[in-house]
Amino acid sequence: MKKFLALFLALAMVFALCACGGKTETPAAPAAPAEPAAPAAPAAPAEPAAPAEPAAPAEPAAPEIPDSMTSADGKYQIAFITDVGQLHDGSFNEGTWNGVKNYASANDMSYKYYQPANGDQATDDDRYNAMKAAADAGAEVIVCAGFMQGTALAKAAAELADINFVFVDGWPLGLANVAPIAFAEEQSGYLAGYAVVKEGFTKLGFTGGGGGTNPACCRYGYGYAQGISAAAQELGVETELKYSWQYGAAFGASPELQTQLSGWYETGTEVIFTCGGSMFYSGAAAAAANDGWIVGEDVDRSLVSDTVVTSALKGLSAAAEWAIDKHYAGEWADIGDVATILDAKNGAVGIPTATWSMENYTVAEYEAQLAAMVDGSLVVDNTVYENDGICNLDLPNVTVIYE
Amino acid sequence: MTFLIQQTLLYAVPLMIVALAGVFAERSGIINLALEGIMIFGAFVGVLFIRILQSSEAIIALREAKNWLALQGIEMLTMLVAAALGAVFSLLLSFASINLKADQTIGGTALNLLSPALVLFFIRILANQNTLTMAEGDSASWFMIKKTTLGFAKTADLGFWGNTFLHKVYLANYICIIVFVILSVILYKTRFGLRLRSCGENPQASDSLGINVTRMRYAGTTISGALAGMGGFVYALTTANCASTGDVAGFGFLALAVMIFGNWKPLNIAGASILFGLFKCIAAGYSSIDINGDGIYMLKEISTTMPFFSSHFYRMLPYLITLIVLAFTSKNSRAPKAEGIPYDKGSR
Repeated sequence: MKKFLALFLALAMVFALCACGGKTETPAAPAAPAEPAAPAAPAAPAEPAAPAEPAAPAEPAAPEIPDSMTSADGKYQIAFITDVGQLHDGSFNEGTWNGVKNYASANDMSYKYYQPANGDQATDDDRYNAMKAAADAGAEVIVCAGFMQGTALAKAAAELADINFVFVDGWPLGLANVAPIAFAEEQSGYLAGYAVVKEGFTKLGFTGGGGGTNPACCRYGYGYAQGISAAAQELGVETELKYSWQYGAAFGASPELQTQLSGWYETGTEVIFTCGGSMFYSGAAAAAANDGWIVGEDVDRSLVSDTVVTSALKGLSAAAEWAIDKHYAGEWADIGDVATILDAKNGAVGIPTATWSMENYTVAEYEAQLAAMVDGSLVVDNTVYENDGICNLDLPNVTVIYE
Repeated sequence: MTFLIQQTLLYAVPLMIVALAGVFAERSGIINLALEGIMIFGAFVGVLFIRILQSSEAIIALREAKNWLALQGIEMLTMLVAAALGAVFSLLLSFASINLKADQTIGGTALNLLSPALVLFFIRILANQNTLTMAEGDSASWFMIKKTTLGFAKTADLGFWGNTFLHKVYLANYICIIVFVILSVILYKTRFGLRLRSCGENPQASDSLGINVTRMRYAGTTISGALAGMGGFVYALTTANCASTGDVAGFGFLALAVMIFGNWKPLNIAGASILFGLFKCIAAGYSSIDINGDGIYMLKEISTTMPFFSSHFYRMLPYLITLIVLAFTSKNSRAPKAEGIPYDKGSR
């Protein structure tokens, strides 16, 4: 009898595993992704001339500022709500959080971060509760990272009208106390793709997070493909781009992702753009084992692993500081409910020149590219193509292999 | 083919060693459902130990001096530490089920619930995040054996066997295989092994012949805990870039399934874990697998021409195969007779 019990339990576990496996396939956030395409519409890069100081995209991290602080009066003025993934993902959360910390410590303010309950499976209620907790702790401005916070934010911001919210990677919610900030990821991806092909790589890969529906990752991917295509045409070479959204739905590292990417390297891929938080670690492990290269995303990853050839940056930290400053400078009306898209003009995208390790592609060439982007002579299409959308496009000199 | 074999080994070896851990416990009469929990704990201990070592200048200097021998030594040492603490952790189960005669299934489940929570708690305290990674570098750049490590040129061709078993491999995997063989021999060919097995079949008879059942069962579960702890660290090292997340992707439960599928016999278990590892590997890397080396990726071709065999199908395969195989083989399964029954001297 006991052995049947053991058997039954084991089977139950296997079933449970199947269930878990299935779950990661479904895109993490259902309705939201359709929305952000709107603010990114063609004419969008209007003139959010707002960011006065062109924030350098590669501002150093702020590890020396502690993550937790105790405020004297028990109130925490600036709050940060994390996206899925961990606080120190070396990427999206960490970049934004560094901006919060920088601003707070420079201005001697209290700050605190909140991670919505249930980690990667956080629901809108969990996020709402985190925002509420921040408000109860006396937050004056709350920075919310990630487009998945949209629903919770709409509810919380409507209730807490006297608190200002910064919605990173967001879109206007019709609430004056929410300042949505988005980035022109396609420009950053373009610069990275252009750079690696100019460097001499022709077999490339892209693996993105969010299961193929995250608008930021989609823009990164499409921009990357456009950059590859442009450089390949200039050099007159044929390139190959493996493009996948598998194993990244939760923006996490996994053995499966590592095996998949090892397989890519094994079959000749030279550079893989790991676009999604902690997915980077699987990519770095595969690259280290196979002497391959990685393109990092959001922040400069070259300090984390020797396999990083370059990173596609977003000025997250600067953007957070800039938006918080708008609140304290009394200029919130400039950005509240205005679709701010930070791009090359604002110095918010690029690849890091301080840790430049490429030999055939020079900083001068890169700066010429960036300048062309700034003056508008180089336009990168920012349409969001979900899943295998880019396979149906005409990208000269690039063969897209979708997995 | 090389890729397929190497990746299969990466998945199969932790499964194999942890399934053997299950065998040692169950053959002595204790159901060890806590394999998953002990693996998680072992992975955490191993990663933490490496992190602590990495905080010392001397260790970093070893890495910079490319002293591979010393680095492999560190890897071995970490495996030992993970095994030792895994054994200690499993004493909780031994105590509950041998001394207190508690229900073993529930005791094991309790450990499975306790372990991830405990580990995440520590990780949050230590690193203020959900993942504990190496303090510096990648597991491959520190511990993986490559051609260059062995003194060959980067472009040298070692032939099929050399490329497969000497390049891009971890010493830990080979150690695990050796340990697996040694322990299997011990279980079947020594007096200790025979006594241990007898306690899982008929402890009253063993006791009447002067065997200390309590001690044998403690030995079985402790060896089990050590193997599971070591397996957990090997899993983290080889397939998770040496990171501990309070999760080993269900490998402990898979190992249980492998153990039952292997009918509590080491050789069958080795076969079962390789089968399972193979399908795990196919699931994740099907598009890059070139079986006969002709440059055609057959599985990828199939998936593009026949929509039924999509990537989702390949990803289901390992679980599908387990279910099917278990359905057919579980009839013949012969579990140790006395497993799960607390030993009661009076009931002989």
